[in-house]
Amino acid sequence: MNKPSIPAQQEITVALIGNPNTGKSTLFNALTGVRQRVGNYPGVTVEKKIGRFSVGNTEYQCIDLPGTYSLAPRSPDEMITVDVLLGRLQEVPPPDVVVCIVDASNLQRNLYLVSQALELGLPTVVALNMMDTARAKGIHFDTEKLSKNLGVPIVPLQANRGIGLDALRESLAAVAGTPTDNRISPFPEAFQTEVALLEEQLNRASESPVPRYLVERLLLDTGGYLSNGEALASIDDAFQNHVLLARKRLSAAGYPVPAVEAMSRYAWVAEMLDGAVTQPAEKQRSTSDQIDKVLTHKIWGTTIFACMVLIIFQAIFSWATPAMESIDWAIGKIGNLIGDILPTGALQSLLVDGVVAGVGAVLVFLPQIFILFFFIAVLEDCGYMARTAYLMDKLMSHVGLSGKSFIPLLSSFACAVPGIMAARVIENRRDRLVTILIAPLMSCSARLPVYILLIGAFVPNTKTLGGWVGLQALTMFGMYLVGIVAAVAVSWLLHKTLLKGETPPFVMELPSYKIPSLRTVVQRMTERGWAFVRRAGTLIFAVTILVWAAAYFPRSPEVEAQIRANFPALNESELEKRIAGANIEQSILGRMGHAIEPVVKPLGWDWRIGCAVIASFPAREVVIGTLGVIYNLGGEQDEQSLSLQERLQSATWPETDKPVFNLPVALSIMVFFALCAQCAATLAVIKRETNSWRWPAFTFLYMTVLAYLGALSTYQIGMLFVS
Amino acid sequence: MNDLIPLNHLVTGERARVGQLLGVPEEVHRLQELGLRDGAPIEMVSSGSPCIIRLSETKLCFRNNDATSVLVYADRAS
Repeated sequence: MNKPSIPAQQEITVALIGNPNTGKSTLFNALTGVRQRVGNYPGVTVEKKIGRFSVGNTEYQCIDLPGTYSLAPRSPDEMITVDVLLGRLQEVPPPDVVVCIVDASNLQRNLYLVSQALELGLPTVVALNMMDTARAKGIHFDTEKLSKNLGVPIVPLQANRGIGLDALRESLAAVAGTPTDNRISPFPEAFQTEVALLEEQLNRASESPVPRYLVERLLLDTGGYLSNGEALASIDDAFQNHVLLARKRLSAAGYPVPAVEAMSRYAWVAEMLDGAVTQPAEKQRSTSDQIDKVLTHKIWGTTIFACMVLIIFQAIFSWATPAMESIDWAIGKIGNLIGDILPTGALQSLLVDGVVAGVGAVLVFLPQIFILFFFIAVLEDCGYMARTAYLMDKLMSHVGLSGKSFIPLLSSFACAVPGIMAARVIENRRDRLVTILIAPLMSCSARLPVYILLIGAFVPNTKTLGGWVGLQALTMFGMYLVGIVAAVAVSWLLHKTLLKGETPPFVMELPSYKIPSLRTVVQRMTERGWAFVRRAGTLIFAVTILVWAAAYFPRSPEVEAQIRANFPALNESELEKRIAGANIEQSILGRMGHAIEPVVKPLGWDWRIGCAVIASFPAREVVIGTLGVIYNLGGEQDEQSLSLQERLQSATWPETDKPVFNLPVALSIMVFFALCAQCAATLAVIKRETNSWRWPAFTFLYMTVLAYLGALSTYQIGMLFVS
Repeated sequence: MNDLIPLNHLVTGERARVGQLLGVPEEVHRLQELGLRDGAPIEMVSSGSPCIIRLSETKLCFRNNDATSVLVYADRAS
C-alpha cells in the first residue's frame, strides 16, 4: 500500500456485499456519509464505490460491491466482486473483513450468499438488517445461537434509522485480522476431496496459485465462463479434462454438478436456521401486498403507470420554468457584461457568442434534468421500478425482450450511456445486444433541450384534453412516443433478421414497498445532474468553442469592404447584419452547411440548421449552443437581448424573407433528433460493450437513415396541413 | 403426493412446493440462487405470463420460456 504515514494495521479495508434490496446502499451511506469516491474498475462497467470512516484512531476504507444473489461469476462484471473479495485486483487493497448484509425476513435465501462468503476464508460479520420488519412479521430470532451456528458475529441492524451502527463498527474492529481456518464447508466430503485434488493439480507448477474458492467455482461453472481463458489465465486443456472427469465422478456418486451447490448450500442454511430462527405458522398479508393488488393489476396498474409517466413530463415543463427563467436571465446578464467590458473582436465574440452563450444554453436545462432524475430516483427507491418491469414484461416479450430490458431502456430516457451500461444485467447475450442497439432511440435528457427550445418557440401554449394537459406537454409526450415506436419496430426487425433466437426466461425480485429516503433520492439526483453538467462543462464546452471557431474563421476584411461598397445606401445596423451573415456564410461551418443544404432542404431546413446538425455530431445538446451561435452572429445588434427562442422565431430565408421556422420545420428537427445517433459518447459505449466497431457503425447508420426519413415525412406531411 | 405440474398451471392464490427445475443447467442454477430450490413453498400471487409468485418472504416475477420450466407439487385436495 502506498500510504507509508499510516501503519498498516491502522487502516482496515471492509468489503460490503449482500443481496439486492437488503439496504446495502443505505448501510454504506450511513457508515461513510459524504466521504465517498465513485470510479470504475478497468474493463468493466461495475462502479467502484469506496467510502471512508474512522473510529478512534482507526481509519476504515469501505468497498461497496454490487448487490448479488451469488458469488458465482458468469461474466466479467460478476468476476469483479469475487476478484475484489479475494484481493486479486491492484486497484483496491485486499479486504481485511467482509460485511455481509442480509434481509432478516428472508434468511433462507440470503444465507446462500453468506455460505459462499464464508468459504472465501476472510473474517466476516453478518449484518442482520430490517429486524423491525422481520419481527413485525412474527419471525423470532435467537441471534446468539445463529452466530454460534455460523461461527461469525451477527449484528442486528436497522440501517435506515441508524440503529446498530455502533455495534457493527465495534464488531469490525474485533473481527478484522482474526483467524478463519476452522470453517466448515457446506459441501459433501466427496466434493471437497475433488476440489482439493484439482487445487493441487492446478497450482502444482504455478507461481500465482488460484485460490481454493475459484477452484471450487471452476468445478461448478458448467457454463464455462471461468475456464475460457479470459478470467483465469492458467487453465489449459489438460486441466479442463481433470475438471470434466471430476464432474463425472461426482455425478456417479450422486452429487451432480452444478445442482450439488444448491442442494448443499440450502441444506446448510436449514441447519444454520434450525432452532435459531422460527417462522410464524401463518403468514399475514402485508401492506405491500395490498398496494401490489392495485399497482400490478393488469388494467389499473398499467393505467397508473401511464399516468405517472405523463405527470412526470408535465412536471418537467411546469415546475422547471421559474428556475430556467432565472438561469436564462443570469446568463444574459453575464453576456451583456462581458460585451460591455471587452472591445468588439474575436475575443469578445469567443466569450459572449461561444463560451457564455453555448454553455449557458445547456446549463439552463439543468432544472428539467434534476426533476426527471428526481422522479426516477423516487420510483427506484420506493420499489415501484421493479413493478414497471413486471407490467412491461408482457409488452417487451412481444418484441422479443424481457422486462429486464425495461430498466436499461427507461434509464436511457435520462441518458443512453448509463442505460447501455445497465444492459449488463441482462444475461442473455442477444437480448442485451438488442437492448443496447435500441437504447439510443429512447429520448434522452440531451434531447430535452432541443424539444423544450423548439416546443416553447413554435407549439402554441394551449390546453387540451379538457384543460388538464397542455398542447406543449402533449407534443413532448409525442416525441418520446416516436422513439419508443421506432425502438419497438427496430427490435422486432432485429429479431426477425440479424439476431434470431429464443426468448429467455425472466426472473426478477419484487422488493417490498418502502417510503423513499430523501437522502438517497437527493444523492442520486445530484449525482446524475452533475454527470450531465460535467459533460456540458467539458465535452460540450470544447465542442462549442470548436463550433464557434468554425463559424468565425476564416474571416477576411475583404468581405466587409465588399458589402460596404455594394450597398452604400444602407444604414450602419443593416450593414452590420449583412456583414455578420456574409462572414458566417463563408466560414468553414457555413460552407459545410451550404454543401448539405440540397440534402436537408426537403426536411424544411436551411443551411444554418444543417450546420447545427453537423456540429451536433459529438453530442445532441450541442445543437442548442450551435443554433445560438449561428443565429446570434447573423442577428441584428439590438437583438442581443433576445432569447434564442425569439431569435429562431424571427429568422428568415435570405431570398424570400419567409420565416425559416414554422411548426412543421420545428417538428421535423425534433423528430430528427428523436431518432438520430448524434452522440459520440453513446457510440463509444456501444463499441466498448459489444467489443466491436461493427455495432456502433450499424447503430449510427440505421439511426441516421431512420432520422432522415422520419424528419422528411414529418415535414412533408406537416406542410400539407399548414398550406 | 400430488402430480408434478408446470408452475404456470397454478391459479391465483394457490399454494405449491417446488418439485423440479428443468432446462439449461446454468439457467436452473440461477433460479436456485434466487431461492427456487427443491421443496421450497410457493404461492401464486398473480397468475399469467409473467406471473408473480411468493417465495418465503419475497415476491418474484417469473416468465418461463420453452427451454426452462419450473415444475411444482400443488397443495390440492385431490
